[in-house]
Amino acid sequence: MMGHRLTLVLLLAAAVLPAQDVREFEKKVTEFALANGLHFTVVERHEAPVVSFHTFVNAGSANDPAGETGLAHMFEHMAFKGTESIGTKNWAAEKKALQDVEDIYDQMEAERNKGPKANQNQIDYLRMQLKQAINVAQSDVESNEYTRIIEENGGAGLNADTSFDYTEYFYSLPSNRIELWFLLESQRFLHPVFREFYQERDVVQEENRMRNQPGSEGQLMRDFVATAFAAFPYRNPPGGWPSDVDNLRRGMAQAFFDKYYVPANINLAIVGDVDPAQARRLAERYFGPMPARPLPPLIHTVEPVQDGEKTAVVESQSQPLFVAGFKRPGQDDPDDPVYEVISLILSGGRTSLLYKELVQEKKIAIEAEASPAYPSSRYPNLFVIFVAPAVGHTVVENQKALEDLLTRFVAQRINAETLQRVKTQARASLIRRLDSNAGLASLLAANYGSYGDWRKLFTQLDDLNKVTAEDVERVARSCFVAHNRTVAFTAAPSALRPAPANAGENRQ
Amino acid sequence: MTRLSVLALVAAGYAAAQVPPPQQSAAAQHKSAAAPTPKAAAAPVPSWKDLVYPPLHTVAIPDVKSITLPNGMKLYLLEDHELPLVHGAARIRTGNLFDPPEKIGLATLTGMVLRTGGTRAKTGEQLDEELENIAASVESDIDETLGSVSFSCLKENLPEVLADFHDVLTQPEFRQDKLDLARTELRGGIARRNDEPQGIAEREFTNTVYGKNTPYGWDIEYSTINRITRSDMVNFYRRYFFPANTMLAIWGDFSAPEMKARLEKLFADWTVEQPPVPAFPPVPAKPAAGTYLAAKSDVTQTFFSMGQLGGVLKDKDYPALEIMADILGGGFQSRLFRKVRTEMGNAYEIEADWDANYDHPGLFLISGSTKSVSTVETLQAILEEVERIRSTEVSEEELKTAKDAALNSLVFAFDTKAKTLGRILNYEYYGYPRDFIQQYQRAIEAVTRADVLRAAKQHLAPNDFTIVAVGNPEQFGQPLAKLGRPVTAIDLTIPEPKKEAAQADAASLAKGREIMARVQRAVGGAGKLAAVRDFTVTQYDRFDPSAGRLDSSETDRWIAPSYLRQDSRETSGPLSMYCDGKLGWFSTPRGAGPLRGATLQEMRNEVFHVYFSLLEAGGEGGASVVAVDDRTVEISAGDQIARLAIDAATGLPQQLLYDSPRPSGPAQPMEEEYSDFHEVNGIQVPFHVTYRQGGKYLAESAVSQYRINTGLQLEDLERRP
Repeated sequence: MMGHRLTLVLLLAAAVLPAQDVREFEKKVTEFALANGLHFTVVERHEAPVVSFHTFVNAGSANDPAGETGLAHMFEHMAFKGTESIGTKNWAAEKKALQDVEDIYDQMEAERNKGPKANQNQIDYLRMQLKQAINVAQSDVESNEYTRIIEENGGAGLNADTSFDYTEYFYSLPSNRIELWFLLESQRFLHPVFREFYQERDVVQEENRMRNQPGSEGQLMRDFVATAFAAFPYRNPPGGWPSDVDNLRRGMAQAFFDKYYVPANINLAIVGDVDPAQARRLAERYFGPMPARPLPPLIHTVEPVQDGEKTAVVESQSQPLFVAGFKRPGQDDPDDPVYEVISLILSGGRTSLLYKELVQEKKIAIEAEASPAYPSSRYPNLFVIFVAPAVGHTVVENQKALEDLLTRFVAQRINAETLQRVKTQARASLIRRLDSNAGLASLLAANYGSYGDWRKLFTQLDDLNKVTAEDVERVARSCFVAHNRTVAFTAAPSALRPAPANAGENRQ
Repeated sequence: MTRLSVLALVAAGYAAAQVPPPQQSAAAQHKSAAAPTPKAAAAPVPSWKDLVYPPLHTVAIPDVKSITLPNGMKLYLLEDHELPLVHGAARIRTGNLFDPPEKIGLATLTGMVLRTGGTRAKTGEQLDEELENIAASVESDIDETLGSVSFSCLKENLPEVLADFHDVLTQPEFRQDKLDLARTELRGGIARRNDEPQGIAEREFTNTVYGKNTPYGWDIEYSTINRITRSDMVNFYRRYFFPANTMLAIWGDFSAPEMKARLEKLFADWTVEQPPVPAFPPVPAKPAAGTYLAAKSDVTQTFFSMGQLGGVLKDKDYPALEIMADILGGGFQSRLFRKVRTEMGNAYEIEADWDANYDHPGLFLISGSTKSVSTVETLQAILEEVERIRSTEVSEEELKTAKDAALNSLVFAFDTKAKTLGRILNYEYYGYPRDFIQQYQRAIEAVTRADVLRAAKQHLAPNDFTIVAVGNPEQFGQPLAKLGRPVTAIDLTIPEPKKEAAQADAASLAKGREIMARVQRAVGGAGKLAAVRDFTVTQYDRFDPSAGRLDSSETDRWIAPSYLRQDSRETSGPLSMYCDGKLGWFSTPRGAGPLRGATLQEMRNEVFHVYFSLLEAGGEGGASVVAVDDRTVEISAGDQIARLAIDAATGLPQQLLYDSPRPSGPAQPMEEEYSDFHEVNGIQVPFHVTYRQGGKYLAESAVSQYRINTGLQLEDLERRP
């Protein structure tokens, strides 16, 4: 039904329109940077009297120091605890009480550090003292005042997210309260107080438990990533390993904040019923005082080339799940858009290959999806395929079918219609995302933070449109190879027996 | 009834405070707190308390009026020219509340296959390709109280996408292979429904509170979805999808007059009519108090859901209850958050929600999770907070915070055209006044501390809460019974598919037709069978002594399709029974009355098992015939099921197997064996039937006279002795 002529027209259309889209869009955008390096992108959408805010920090769990995994995430929790003036009944008293807590904790750790020579009674005594000191500090706390202010003023969608390469803070407000955001957001990064730190550590432990229940998808993916990466810090879960979290200290979070939350490492997006000139004035007033500090170092660790295929088995009573990942370069590689195209071909809608073959035709899976950059994209990462087998079908069966599919995919060049379809989908998908203040703020801040230019949101479409069938074949051939692969799956608990012949064979 | 969820790829990030924003309905304009005053000359950074805000810009709420097309369908059009997109959603009044109990999942499957099964003109795959080539979509879904068909496209593709949308909505083909696929997907969901403890807690709580034997609380099972056939879906679709039962909303980059003309033309051919759809069943008011434990050994936390039945949005007390729930557990500043998460460090997720529906009571739910050892301590703390909010007034500060949060965030209910239109349609669909949200706003403004206390006292009954805990009891710090309430164990075992529920797929249906054709030929031909309009049979029934019944003689009269009269002379006296297929009566010299319970079910079974009905099954009559093996078919219609086995050599019917209901206890498997065939009106009929129950001989009947087509009249069958 798609004649060549029609295809040609669409190709042209796809090439022309993104530039047009950008020019239209640019009319609504104002961007500026403060003297300290803090960058703002402001977009006017006056459809409704609301504004969405998004703060994007170029630091995440991959920056956690060794032995202190979970720190970036812990700081994110701290960013909701208030400041010297918000969240406290008496800052002077509280400050002293917080210091007392640290002093006692230091003493306890000093004793513990003696190892086998440590005096257990002394440790128990200090632990009790610590509890009391924490209670004393707590009595000066105006709990959750910071977030209460936001909610009282009509805040919607209040949340934050710690990923591997970045941390984000976001919410929306009625547009007449825009100054409140400037005040609260600037204050939390100018004068944060890390109160209720040790209680919050318990909360984080609960969060980690919740996300990594045995046999769950969360646990499988955590173990999968830890297996795939031998050296690079993507291997550590953002929530941190439980024993690391148990030993996090306030001082560590302070050090992390000082090092990474510097103005040049942060950018903010404001989208909605906003006056850009007013936004600039408020930005200067409230964020201006943030002192400029040097950019933190990049991550130097390079994941060594994989010597061969890796496998992780997760014992589970649950129905089987299976994931396979292939090593690939980071987002700045010129082939980055090719991976995106491959992902859309394999897994985007009912015409995508994974769905068509595994779910629709063979009916051996109820879900089969690809993700082009996992768990994050800044540094070399993984092209991932995730499969949930159908009842009565096994991981082994699905693995084999997936291998066949990928082998054929590498061998046969994709046709023009398929390539055009994914490009059209990418364009339409972008247009659809322009429909939301919060979504737009998130995209703009992420693109600026990742690439240094919000326009990348649109120009990545140009990059995508340049991808050819030859590119797809070349990249697929180099990526989908066995020694590049890590596989993880759930299986019923088993007795000691030779792997991998039986590995993956599980009940139902 | 809970929705099934298919797994999704887990995002890599971690969210800090996963507390959902209060689910507020919204009002039109927010009035600012005070008139603007000149800014005081302040220190460089003022206190947040000193900030002064200008009045909020007004929210322009478009006045969308519905347009009724000649065929009865209602249109709602809303222009939005910001982006070159067009979206549409048709709402159909139906829902899985209308599932028959033996076919739970019918509405869900119909909703899935409506789209995937393709249209008269195009297969599902053809639609997939066409639509995905232009990055457009047409989708369908049926949930608890709503059926929907929707579309989304770039403006330039509107004509062809609208055409596909029209065809999916009005001419779905429900191809068999997509029913098979959808069933595979649902089976996967059933198999996985106990893998994540959070899902278990929510599901068991919801189903327990609403009642596991009610449409609100029952769940799909392998057996129920196995029984669903293509013709079931077609009939479901036909009953509910018609123009007068449809509201169509379209928003995006188009001109309303043009769109109206286009739709009038496009839907001119959709003129089917059906009787008005019945009301949804009411929620039973039976309380479901109790503490339930689902033991799961592979968890490190206990996931809990506790609460009770809630109310509807229209309730007079809804605003006060929402404020109450917000103060109790609605956000960072709530009592449960501060106590259980911040102070005790026992939870990451903890929230309370008075979740009212438009048309039926929702649920008051407190949910969260905590490490196993803290289970009882956490639940006790929660119950204490519930008691506290029922016994003393909340503070002025708490009240102000909750009211401010509710009122100040109302603006977000109208921040997109889609939301605005959705709200208008919701109000019309559920019969709410157009200004309901303004009424709600005023009501929130008026809520006092006394109101909150009164509402909490009146509506919250913590002693009658349903508490569901999913966790590893061996690791609870204290036993769950410490809560002072008796604990019932929940059996999470997923029932295996019932043996009699044969799988209806393309192959077994084809084989079923083959077997039916064979048996029809063997007894004398489909034509002779179709000509049978009535029969009168006189027989003698002999019972095994263990049956507790004495021998009797009996005359049965039957008029097609489903009218059966039995008159028997028992040793105790005469007994007459009549059934029209659905209801009936019995009569003896000592008394008479309607058929009920197991006796009604038995008589209905007799009607279903009438020789000629069984042999003609599989035609347009609505019964489905599925081959179980080379000589056996399973015949089902409505809630009736039976298996007919034919003689491999002769093709004559040999056995009939079914479950016979008992007054109490489980149904008993029954087997009838046919023999001694005679020809009557050109048809081979058995003159001898042997009955076995649970494999043991029960009874037998021998025919003395068999007459067909004597011109029986219905009033003779209906006349009481």
